[in-house]
Amino acid sequence: MDWTALFLSLRLAAFTVVILLPIGIVMGRFLAYRNFPGKGLTEALVALPLVLPPTVFGYYLLVVLGSASPVGQFWEALFGRPLVFTFEGLLIASIVFNLPFAIQPMQRGFEAIPREVRAAAACCGMPPWRALLRVELPLAWPGILTALVLSFAHTLGEFGIVLMVGGSIPGETRTIAIAIYDRVQAFDDAGAAQMSALLLAFSLVTIALTFAFSRRIGRRLG
Amino acid sequence: MYRPFLKLTSRFKRAPGVAALLGVLVLIAALQPARAQDAPVIAGAADLQFALEEIAEAFLAETGQAVKLALGSSGNFARQIRQGAPFQIYMSADESYVLALERDGFTRDAGTLYAVGRIVVIAPHGSPLAADAALDDVAAALADGRLKRFAIANPEHAPYGKRAEEVLRRKGIWDAIRPRLVLGENVSQAAQFATSGNAEGGIIAYSLALSPKVSALGRYVLIPAEWHSPLRQRMVLLRDAGPVATRFYGYVQQPAARAILRKYGFLLPGDEG
Amino acid sequence: MSGLTGLHVALHQDSPIPLAAEFSCAPGEVLALVGPSGSGKSTILRAIAGIYRPLRGRVTVDGEDWFDGGRGYHRPTHRRAVGMVFQSYALFPHMTALGNVMAALGDLPPHQRAARARSLLDLVHLADLYDRRPEELSGGQQQRVAVARALAREPKALLLDEPFSAVDKATRQRLYREIAVLRRGLNMPVVLVTHDLDEAAMLADRIAVLHRGRTLQTGTPRQVTTRPLSAEVARLVDLRNVFEGVVAGCDGDGGRTIIDWAGLQLETAGGAVVATGQRVSWVIPDGFVLLHRRDRPSRGEHENPVPGRVESVLEIGQMAHIVLRPGHAPELPLHFSVPLHVAHRNGIEPGVAATVSLLGEGIHTMPPPRG
Repeated sequence: MDWTALFLSLRLAAFTVVILLPIGIVMGRFLAYRNFPGKGLTEALVALPLVLPPTVFGYYLLVVLGSASPVGQFWEALFGRPLVFTFEGLLIASIVFNLPFAIQPMQRGFEAIPREVRAAAACCGMPPWRALLRVELPLAWPGILTALVLSFAHTLGEFGIVLMVGGSIPGETRTIAIAIYDRVQAFDDAGAAQMSALLLAFSLVTIALTFAFSRRIGRRLG
Repeated sequence: MYRPFLKLTSRFKRAPGVAALLGVLVLIAALQPARAQDAPVIAGAADLQFALEEIAEAFLAETGQAVKLALGSSGNFARQIRQGAPFQIYMSADESYVLALERDGFTRDAGTLYAVGRIVVIAPHGSPLAADAALDDVAAALADGRLKRFAIANPEHAPYGKRAEEVLRRKGIWDAIRPRLVLGENVSQAAQFATSGNAEGGIIAYSLALSPKVSALGRYVLIPAEWHSPLRQRMVLLRDAGPVATRFYGYVQQPAARAILRKYGFLLPGDEG
Repeated sequence: MSGLTGLHVALHQDSPIPLAAEFSCAPGEVLALVGPSGSGKSTILRAIAGIYRPLRGRVTVDGEDWFDGGRGYHRPTHRRAVGMVFQSYALFPHMTALGNVMAALGDLPPHQRAARARSLLDLVHLADLYDRRPEELSGGQQQRVAVARALAREPKALLLDEPFSAVDKATRQRLYREIAVLRRGLNMPVVLVTHDLDEAAMLADRIAVLHRGRTLQTGTPRQVTTRPLSAEVARLVDLRNVFEGVVAGCDGDGGRTIIDWAGLQLETAGGAVVATGQRVSWVIPDGFVLLHRRDRPSRGEHENPVPGRVESVLEIGQMAHIVLRPGHAPELPLHFSVPLHVAHRNGIEPGVAATVSLLGEGIHTMPPPRG
């Protein structure tokens, strides 16, 4: 059992979720409420990580974040180490490839709020921020929670992109998914089996929770 | 089944509940495992899987200092090092990678030859293939259809894979066996494929075959060294290597570590004769 | 825009929803916007509330501009003192009735909100239901919470969007009575949207008839239903006896006009002066069509007698709705109603001959149809 890798994965997932929470709320709400030319394209871009093969994604991330790119060089000048093969690089990659997992359920959550209820909040004199806090978030929270749970779980399981952008550096980018791969290659079946069982159990719990919350979205506002 | 939980969450007085959830997340995020600054990361060729682990343990026992190991294909590591990967020592299975890095300024110096490797042909128990040094049965099995899949490391970036290709070419069966090859990303993965029953056999590193974990899984035979270009394994300290890494670098060249390498079938410089 | 008090609305645009509406509503007055579905009534209400922003126009309340298309000024909804009751009530499902009303009391200091919310709920007769959630309330109760919430803000205009359409008939009757009582205590303009003319006639001081976003006529219910400005309005207010005719003569002084209706001469009691020979539309509300007693033959003293044959008799409740095909023009049916016992007493059945009188004071002329 590679505890370092487990904690690394948990840290990566936690940071990802904490950062994606405001991003998801803003983007999800925006897409739920507004119609604008190019909305279809925007939604397709958000959904892209769902269908793109992880290696394609990883490749482009390397191109954008790697040492040869302006972004990579800027980072290296600022912090003394490259963006790739570091936890920070992984975090950036994780945020990008989790965008659909964060935004789409939140968008559904906000869409489920009847327009008249939102209009009623404004008629009650609530400025937009107060309407968000007192009316929209309480009604959209199943969607928001689903988004956070899915993003967390997905980050724990992501492999291809992590391997390409992070390598497999113990303590820095060797997440639990990569550690399992590593243990198999080291002929350590016991270690691989232990960690796999843990991830399997976690995934089951995640799916169960997600379904439970999804049903609540419908029921609450039905 | 969800009822009690759902009741709980519906009674969730929202603000403190959400704050608690976020608090837990931030706490996890703040969990800092022993930071990587102290223990240097060593990029080692995959054939050192077992040998290097033992050497690292011995080093820890003797000096009280830990190192972290990353094992994979030499070519892959060379690429990562060029992209700024934070390794402090690079132990390659092929010295040409090291010399190229030195030429391009990624290393402290030209490094040291630490071992010479050998390859074996292996057939797992129950395989219709028989392992023999001249690969006669491999050729025969290929011809009569017994051989469906044969595992080697990827010749493009794994030195052991390159040598496997050389050997198969020399035998004259490269073109015939090519469609049947299963390529491992590194020689460790090739060994996995070769012994897991998913292939009838393969060509892997001698150092891996000697490990009890692998030798228990099948029969292996050394392939004559003249059949392929030598596996001159070179190691080097990279530019940002710290004191612990430097110490480890020296340790590998000392008797205790050399004994371990010898145990895993490596030929050592200074051992000729 | 005249006057400083009350609500003044003028909205114009061609697309996506055509609007050409202008009307005013004084403080304490109830104005009903009436029209078929799709006539833009809800859109107008949303524009007053600020939820919808039209291309051009002006909305002014008590002298303050809420929307001025010319200046490009559009005050956001949450800064308009407006109370709105939505068709679906739009209560906040996660709050209790009390919570819903308190949500609109953000301007009050926190410790006063609960008390004020309770008094508002008491006002709409929901005293025991403070802690119920919307899903636990009946349609009528939800509607009352919505009204209380709309009033909580002490709005300068109260807007009701088909508030009774989702409620069953019995509850609706009860709510009409309660609203009628409630509105006497209100001193703000109230705009009510409905497609039900009877409801509008019952609750409103004035009606604005809308068709495709255009206000065709604004007036008291009586004015609109007896003196419609055009055949179109007449049809929109459910007047079915709309016909064409030609002015045969006009007695300028006494104001009587003779109309030639497909050969039959009708005398009207007055109205606008129209030139002889002019084509007109004319309408007579059902109530001004009187059935002659069949056992007493006409002796010529009845106004505008029209003999004909009964085509159908529809008995609904205590009334009989009759369609009569006039003898001189069977293709122009007359609609009217009589109490059921009168129909029975006179033996009114499909096929029998009958005569009606068209009371001159009820005949109202309008501009001729276009084309």
